[in-house]
Amino acid sequence: MRIIILVKQVPEADKVAVDPETGTLIREGVASILNPYCEYALDQAAKLKKDYPELNIKITAISMGPPQAKIALLRCLELGADKAYLLSDRKFAGSDVWATSTAIKEGIVGLEPEFDLILAGKQAIDGDTAQVPAETAEQLGVPQITYGVDVIINDKRVEVKRETETGYQILSTKMPALVTMSKGSNIRRIPSMQDVLEARKKPLEVVSADDLNIADSKIGLSASPTQVDKIFAPPSKSGGQIIESSDPKAAARKLFDYLKENKFLRV
Amino acid sequence: MSNNVIVAQQIEDIPFENIRSVKGEMIISEDFPSYLVDESKISGGYAEYLFFPNTEEEIVSLIKKMKEEELMITISAARTGIVGSAVPFGGAVLSLERMDGVIGLGYDEDAEKWFLRVQPAISLDEINHIVKLKKLELDQSIPQEGNWIQKFEEEHTHYYPVDPTEMTASIGGTIGANASGARSFKYGATREWIKRIRVIIGTGEVLVIPRGKYKAIDGKFIIKTSNGDYELKLPTYKMPRAKNAAGLYTKPDMDLIDLFIGSEGVFGAISEADVWLKEHTPQMSNVAFFKNENDALDFVIKLRTSEKIKPEFIEFFEDHALALLRNEQKEDPKFVDMPIIDEDITTAISFDLPYSEETLNEYFSEISNMLEESNSSLSNTWSAYEDREIARIKHFRHAVPEIVNNIIAERKKEYPEIHKLGTDMSVEDKHLKEIMKFYYDTLKEVGLEYVMWGHIGDNHVHVNILPRNINDLELGKQIYKKFAKKAVQFGGSVSAEHGIGKIKHEYLKIMYGEEGVLQMREIKFSLDPNCVFNCGNIFGRGDK
Repeated sequence: MRIIILVKQVPEADKVAVDPETGTLIREGVASILNPYCEYALDQAAKLKKDYPELNIKITAISMGPPQAKIALLRCLELGADKAYLLSDRKFAGSDVWATSTAIKEGIVGLEPEFDLILAGKQAIDGDTAQVPAETAEQLGVPQITYGVDVIINDKRVEVKRETETGYQILSTKMPALVTMSKGSNIRRIPSMQDVLEARKKPLEVVSADDLNIADSKIGLSASPTQVDKIFAPPSKSGGQIIESSDPKAAARKLFDYLKENKFLRV
Repeated sequence: MSNNVIVAQQIEDIPFENIRSVKGEMIISEDFPSYLVDESKISGGYAEYLFFPNTEEEIVSLIKKMKEEELMITISAARTGIVGSAVPFGGAVLSLERMDGVIGLGYDEDAEKWFLRVQPAISLDEINHIVKLKKLELDQSIPQEGNWIQKFEEEHTHYYPVDPTEMTASIGGTIGANASGARSFKYGATREWIKRIRVIIGTGEVLVIPRGKYKAIDGKFIIKTSNGDYELKLPTYKMPRAKNAAGLYTKPDMDLIDLFIGSEGVFGAISEADVWLKEHTPQMSNVAFFKNENDALDFVIKLRTSEKIKPEFIEFFEDHALALLRNEQKEDPKFVDMPIIDEDITTAISFDLPYSEETLNEYFSEISNMLEESNSSLSNTWSAYEDREIARIKHFRHAVPEIVNNIIAERKKEYPEIHKLGTDMSVEDKHLKEIMKFYYDTLKEVGLEYVMWGHIGDNHVHVNILPRNINDLELGKQIYKKFAKKAVQFGGSVSAEHGIGKIKHEYLKIMYGEEGVLQMREIKFSLDPNCVFNCGNIFGRGDK
């Protein structure tokens, strides 16, 4: 069985600030990491590999990004992937979610066409669009299940426990299929020195647009139907008021008066 | 040419009234209580004045005023010390917190090294932040015509490598304490990283001391001041051949700057420092696990004597520490944020290595051999080299002390008097296994609860005794003294990194004897006869 994981290298988002004047991201000194949701996808793949030894699962990690995104793929190789491809080319620059999914789809078709299952993070923590996996599934013409928290294999089908706002759904579809993961195990794994050493012996290939015979018209800025107009930090909220009183009745009265005065209550 | 005579520089003072200050014991204890404590948590601190000077001139002015009023001065910055050096018992608190900026940056062409000139209260975090992001203005070049700021822009990332764990510590405080930490295994303590200081002494004058300019002759320095010449006779005791932060530094031909570094502020207030910077090289953090502690110690000895590899540090966690972590993992897995540690593991050794893809194979094969010979393996060793993962392992290393502090806080509810008894002793390399055996035998014999971790690369393991009641506390204190005596016998120090401050005077006597302590006092009172500065640090208060 062949599993593909789609991964992205992202800035450590909680350390990125937005310059309120220019609207640009302040990325000075902020490290790049493997997107946490992609790591959940990798964890799920590694778990399947362990749970179904009879399926002889091989895991391929695919990413699109600049050359330094190789580090994120190395982490995948350390944590259980068998090989990795980085789609890296100046021609990909400026791609929006559609052009990105086009490139990834072409990558999958060209590099790992016999896949059974694609696992991806539900979204990247930098762009937060959650669109690339969905559009990739559409372009490949395979069924997709989003927001998975657990996956099991049942013969030719994949069964996914899916998170919803009110609880969980169990959905199942025939493979090949694409599943996005929204949660993983509580504690992230850490590779051993042995894993680190072995990862460096596994194949990690950098692939260009030409290698995949992708027409220039399908990728990059010119092939992107959407564009980001502006990034801005939401206006900061002023701190709330705290009503302090040792007498609960008096405190409740204060709150009541406040709500009434500000016309939150109609009494 | 170096010599042993230094002339103090006079500084114009400004009207005392211009200094931002708070007067009155009551107001200070009620409105500024944090200036009366530090991380030692010793209680009873009080002060009549609290000063927030902005400049050396203001410090000079307040010294004069305090001398008139016959009040002593306790120097205070980040108050991260854990031996009470910044806790005042009367007199004035001199908080340097407003003097926390970067003055400039320069390049020493002889030493071929960059240095940063800073004010005393800047934190180590802030120094690293500014240096890493190169947040410097063009007019901060030292000297101006060197145009060093532009040249530094093109340099690789630099940093200040002293890492005493508590990076909110101030540079002045860390110079006073000669702070070290895990990484001093490779880089040495603060002492090695200080190029020049300015110190304001009790006469209200400034000593400018660049390293290399003033060297003792016949064990003496002469300091020429407006008050006359002070002759400083250096103590004659021998320093241990192990990591040490106890008492004053002394060597017959020593550099004057070394007398001030680690002196816990007893000679004066550091008002400016030039610190060396180092090029940042990528690191990789690892944690190896062992089923048997003796195997782990063998690994430590192999690793630190390796000719191929020099780790940044080698840290140790014994069985009880791992048990605490495991327990915490069950209750709150996020707190430890690491995979479960197997039940049969008794010891963990954490070590950082230089990271480069070119040397990885070679280093790993060397480490692999050492691990296999010590009944462990590369598969039993966590490894991280990305910034976020390195931070995760760092967090893991710091989890045990935090858990221990929580346990003690919990016990304090029942017995408010009890506190953790954490040793800070080092020994010579050859005595590592012996001292460990001594610790275990002694602790088991008396049945005290304990946890051990620490800088095993430097034979500097913190034995933490966790008293369950007052009896345990008293017993623990006796055991502590026993350990101190043994550490000294094994050529070590009673305080390898925390210093003596106000709470470890008796251990200093164990180490250097009455005579040694007396010599320290003599040199202190030769330079500061009125005991203006930091009275009570290193030696008893009021001892003249």
